[in-house]
Amino acid sequence: MIKKSRKVRDYKALTRALPTLRYLNPPSVFIHLQNSRCKTYNLNVKEGDHVKIGEVIGIRHGGFFEQNVHSTVSGTIGTLIKKFHRTGRKVDCVEIINDYKDTLHESVFDRTDEEISKLTQNEIVEIIKEKSLVGLGGSGFPTYIKLATKDKIDTVVINAVECEPYLSSDYRLILEHPDRVGMGLKYIMQALNVDKAIIAIKSEKDPLYEILNQVLEVRFSDLNVKVAKLGNHYPQGWEIEVFKWALGIEVPFGELPTKYGVIGFNVSTAVGVFDAIKHNLPVIKRHFTMTGDAIRFPQNIRVRVGTSVRELVALCDGYKKELDEVLVIMGGPMMGVSTVSDDVIVSKTTTSVIVLENIEYKEEPCIRCGSCVYSCPAHLEPVQIMNAVKRNDKAVMKGLEAFKCIECGLCAYVCTSKIHVTDYIRKAKRLIG
Amino acid sequence: MENTLPKIVRKTSPYLRRPKASVTRMMRDVTIALLPVTAFAIWKFGMAAVVIIVLGILSMAVTEYIYYQIVDKLNDEKFKFKNKSYTLYNFSVVTSGLIYSLTLPDNTPWFVVIIGAAFGVFFGKLIFGGMGQNVFNPAALGRVFIFVSFGTMMSYDIDAVAGATALTVLNDDVFNIAVLDNFSLINLFTGIGIPGSIGEMSAILILLGGVYLAFRTSFEVRIPLAYIGTVALLASVVAIYKGLGVWYPVFHVLSGGLLFGAIFMATDPITSPITKGGRIYFGFALGVLTFFIRVFGAYPEGVVFSILIMNMFVTSFDYYKWTNQQITKRQKIIFTTVVLVTIVITIVGVSYVG
Repeated sequence: MIKKSRKVRDYKALTRALPTLRYLNPPSVFIHLQNSRCKTYNLNVKEGDHVKIGEVIGIRHGGFFEQNVHSTVSGTIGTLIKKFHRTGRKVDCVEIINDYKDTLHESVFDRTDEEISKLTQNEIVEIIKEKSLVGLGGSGFPTYIKLATKDKIDTVVINAVECEPYLSSDYRLILEHPDRVGMGLKYIMQALNVDKAIIAIKSEKDPLYEILNQVLEVRFSDLNVKVAKLGNHYPQGWEIEVFKWALGIEVPFGELPTKYGVIGFNVSTAVGVFDAIKHNLPVIKRHFTMTGDAIRFPQNIRVRVGTSVRELVALCDGYKKELDEVLVIMGGPMMGVSTVSDDVIVSKTTTSVIVLENIEYKEEPCIRCGSCVYSCPAHLEPVQIMNAVKRNDKAVMKGLEAFKCIECGLCAYVCTSKIHVTDYIRKAKRLIG
Repeated sequence: MENTLPKIVRKTSPYLRRPKASVTRMMRDVTIALLPVTAFAIWKFGMAAVVIIVLGILSMAVTEYIYYQIVDKLNDEKFKFKNKSYTLYNFSVVTSGLIYSLTLPDNTPWFVVIIGAAFGVFFGKLIFGGMGQNVFNPAALGRVFIFVSFGTMMSYDIDAVAGATALTVLNDDVFNIAVLDNFSLINLFTGIGIPGSIGEMSAILILLGGVYLAFRTSFEVRIPLAYIGTVALLASVVAIYKGLGVWYPVFHVLSGGLLFGAIFMATDPITSPITKGGRIYFGFALGVLTFFIRVFGAYPEGVVFSILIMNMFVTSFDYYKWTNQQITKRQKIIFTTVVLVTIVITIVGVSYVG
């Protein structure tokens, strides 16, 4: 099949209509102390200490990415153990044994609307930094750095596209808490001193369009917010694509969108901003999707950050028994990371776990059909980069700008010969890195 | 309980693949698209066509089979009846064989068919490393080989003009409308009552195949459009310059192997450039070459020649320093200039010939 194809079968029907279950009191949570950007950490507590929700228990070091580690339950500190993180590596985690009392730490208090309206950009940035909020769509980029921008911003874009197949946690989040999204957006607009905002959703998500418009009209009539319906493509949720389709602004590779007067936040991040500003609370719970064709009862679940995926699998009645091999993927099925075990923890940037039947695709020789070239959203020529990797020709890899690849996975998805093209591009990126 | 749990395996993203996309589907589609043409050939030439088609496909498949068995032998592998490199499974060799057979005249001797097929698949495909690696279109290579080597043994069925196809007539007497006395446009369009290669006669059936392929997205529609469009454009330029009627470009498009070559041979993805722009320029270059060979060259037909010549330049279309996924402004300017220059050259050339 030779064609430009940005349509990916989305399988969202598995969970989209299901109400969110609550699984907020696991016996214990595991808070990871390292991540891909922060290798070292300080832990302020020791085994047996009692902690409360929202209490700072340590710091992850990593320059810009330095962030406080908060407790997400109240209870006693357990041991330090190694567990798999979203990135697929084993990282140090601290166990907190839940005492089921949900006592809030003294630092958690509600700000009145009046107080909030007086906050300046710097104060908001400080609060967000202290609450270590990061991009909850999966990027994990610290939100305070974005909010602290000195560029003149015209438009705030809330990215609720969720273009990855299977995922429905953002969808449920908007459906169930549109007011929180609106409040979060309001605070972001206040911090950046912007009077225009856009909430970008996929065109097929009509219920969201109505709900958001209703809420905006009733509760946020003072804000100039539009809901933009974007096409049902993949990767429509890529920030650059969102800006292009919602605003017509094309941000060239390697430049910050803020230079062009736009800034983007994921919806869950907006809700995180709301929690941090209004309740002075770090991210302790999140919307989460447990789905895939190899899990018996796919569900949307609201979970405590730090919950073990194994418990959530059990909550969904386990894997389908007749399967021999499954893939456990953290994140979406196009860009997510596959883990070797279900003994992983839900960190605040984990949007979902997808359990898929393992299918071995039979690769055939490349017939140069060009589907990957036609489809690439970053305007690359994946097949040519692949051939350059095969003959280890770094000049060509650089010349074909392999470093621009966003690893969306579309080239491998559309491949007529079922070749894992994305893997070759990754290799090229490493080689010329 | 523990041992009934499925094993968790690790892979890299993405974990999904496009359903229905496969090489087999694409190659099978080409074969299906060729069926009407094949049926017409058999209807018109009867057993002669059947023999050529069967021999063409078989000798390509057998050559490939023997080749891989020898390769296995040389690599000290055990004898396997089925080899994974064997492309009969995904219709690739069938498609090549069928295309090759359909370009032959009906009175081609059987051994010539076999030699051409074996040569085409061996030197056009296997020697480069099999499917996906070939530089030349195997069908075109085989066809040209026997055309050059055994040209005298094949002549077209004598129908209206002694031993001549429509294009041979046109080649002798380039701008004479009298050619239409023997080959009316409607005959060229339907393929009834004209001589030619067994599969290249009926324009309407070839177009039908092309429409099918376009709907199934199994070929790149830009190549035939650019190819045929270029021939039509240049022929129109000549027609205007010489004061000929509309018949001249139409005649060029419908006669010879142009439609067949453009739709089934030039579009072979392996031997065409990879980008949208590259494919358009490729089609354009094919059109120019074909038209020049027809009008200025010694041979009456230039389709397979131009396909082979352009196959060699595919890598330069895809050279990393100027290839681009999108058609850039610079490319547009250069392309427009090239088109204009070509038109000028055509006019100058025609004023010498005519």
